[in-house]
Amino acid sequence: MIRQTLVPLLTALAFLPAPRLAAQAPADLAAERAAFTDWLVHSPVSPYAAVSAAPLDPAGVGLELGDRTARIVERNGAAWLEGAGAPRVLPRNRPALVGTTTVLVTGEPPRSRVMLFGAGRRAVAPAYYPYDPALVFSGTLVAPTAPGSERVLTPDGVEVEATVAGTVTVPLGGGTTLRVLRLPDPGSEESSLEIYFRDGTSGTGSYPAGRFVTLAPIAGGRYRLDFNRSRNPFCAYNAAYPCPAPWRGNTIAVPVAAGERYESHP
Amino acid sequence: MILPALLLALVSPPASPAGNWRAVLDLAGGELRFSLNVRPAGRVLRGSICNGRSCTPLSGIRVAGDTVVLEMADYAATITSVLRGDSLTGIYHNVGNRGPRTIPFRASRGRWRIEPASADLLGSWDATFVTDGRSSPRVLLFSNDSSGFIGAMMSNTGDYGRFWGRAEADSFRLAHFDGSFVYMLTGRLDGDTLRGIFHAGLRTQTAFTAVRTTGRPHLRSPTEMTSADTSAPFRFAFPGLDGRTVANTDLRFRGKVVLLDVFGTWCPTCHEASPMLVDLYRRYHGRGLEIVGLAYEVTGDTAVDAPLVRRFLVTHRVPYPLLLAGTSDVASAAATLPQLQGFTSFPTSIFLGRDGRVRLVYAGFLGAATGAQHDRQVAEFRATIERLLAEPPR
Repeated sequence: MIRQTLVPLLTALAFLPAPRLAAQAPADLAAERAAFTDWLVHSPVSPYAAVSAAPLDPAGVGLELGDRTARIVERNGAAWLEGAGAPRVLPRNRPALVGTTTVLVTGEPPRSRVMLFGAGRRAVAPAYYPYDPALVFSGTLVAPTAPGSERVLTPDGVEVEATVAGTVTVPLGGGTTLRVLRLPDPGSEESSLEIYFRDGTSGTGSYPAGRFVTLAPIAGGRYRLDFNRSRNPFCAYNAAYPCPAPWRGNTIAVPVAAGERYESHP
Repeated sequence: MILPALLLALVSPPASPAGNWRAVLDLAGGELRFSLNVRPAGRVLRGSICNGRSCTPLSGIRVAGDTVVLEMADYAATITSVLRGDSLTGIYHNVGNRGPRTIPFRASRGRWRIEPASADLLGSWDATFVTDGRSSPRVLLFSNDSSGFIGAMMSNTGDYGRFWGRAEADSFRLAHFDGSFVYMLTGRLDGDTLRGIFHAGLRTQTAFTAVRTTGRPHLRSPTEMTSADTSAPFRFAFPGLDGRTVANTDLRFRGKVVLLDVFGTWCPTCHEASPMLVDLYRRYHGRGLEIVGLAYEVTGDTAVDAPLVRRFLVTHRVPYPLLLAGTSDVASAAATLPQLQGFTSFPTSIFLGRDGRVRLVYAGFLGAATGAQHDRQVAEFRATIERLLAEPPR
């Protein structure tokens, strides 16, 4: 098999001027980060607002509603809210307000999960390494030899069946091949090509368990891998979320000082 | 010269976004074009986003200084942009559980040029989509109209709305953006085969190939997707917008043909299907047809969902009851309508005979963009109702 290495995007753009200008994050990345920070601060399902998470097992999940307790139980593939008026089905993958608590049912039976949101912790704006244009690569995705899938946790800790999309090789640490999985977005035609990786900054500046980075298609059947867009799993914001286990093999032996940093908060 | 300029700035009204705009979402796979139309309506602005002649109204337009916010409340989506001269620049975003979904947006004043396709591209194509080694069928329908090159795409569970775009020699680019769905088809004709990419959202790309429709069925029939228990009358009992429960056992349904429309206000295809259902009601209600809309909404919280359903009722002038049946996922619909098996899509139409039992379940809806296929579906609905109405009451 021929190994194809992602090359730094800058090699094709060698005429780019001064490093000072090049080190500024592109406008679309800055807009994405601003929108994400706004979501962290204001969304009722911000990871900072999460107060608990529990598997939706046969016993169900209790929900305190003032002087009474409601229960969320799974029946016929749906999550039913009982004990809060007439029984009703809660939406899946979309928040619902029950009393003053926001409830989010995620995952698929029999591995559904219930997250409760309320007055959680105060949101903290994510911190980022300085933008580094040398950590933007483009190249091809090498398809797997056979179709396959595996169960993994998404950035927000939901267990999904991800399809094996292939590998990319980056010229870091003497050349590192990274596995790429396609994570589904339930109920939509969309999905994302994700790499969950660890590197020399893991635990010493970035989140110890690893970070996600999305492989973005560009023209000509090629892909862009921009480590400046690396982001933390939600367990970095709130221990209520299960943390994805590091993906087999996806370790870069050198520091990748780009993307989201991690500072533990009390 | 500074003073006159300052005075001019003080007396000039703020720039208005009213007018026609050539709008673009910048996807990873290139620009998705659509039209944005904004017009004054009294003291407020109204607007719509259009794919060719198919337009979706905006729920609101807010202007503050040079910031223009286009709102699509049904889909919890907005386009926030800055108006500078004859250009708008900003981002489209809607909210998910993992953070906002953002796509760069830009627009310039004017109308898109009409760019029809050559005859080689037009017609019906049987497509095969391939993702990570797995394939699934679609049918593509390409034609020209007064707005230029248009298209439709059908799957086993319905169509994706009207696509509009342009063709240049053997290459084409068609898009559908309605405030919620962000779809684009790009490709080219290679001999007798279309080779292309289906783009969904900012970054999802699925390769496809397509050949001329042979006449053999490429998709499953919409009447084969969902089955039902026909051993007993079909049971439903849900609250209406006035809070009172409407049930299949109510006197008003006794001996009547009933069409249940399983829909959601969040579902663009359901909006498109509604005028046909209203027309069916007006044609056949006097002869014994009842229609009931079963709304599966985003939150399951009546306080939030009821106003959305009420707006749907007013927008489409729905003359039949709309009930709050559940939340907007397939599992919810399946759980609250346990006599159905294999529920797959919104909308789904359930035809009940005069004895209250299920006679036909039709999954999905083929919109006007599918041309003859849409006409055929409307004819099938009418024929089914005529046939059921002709049966003697039991």
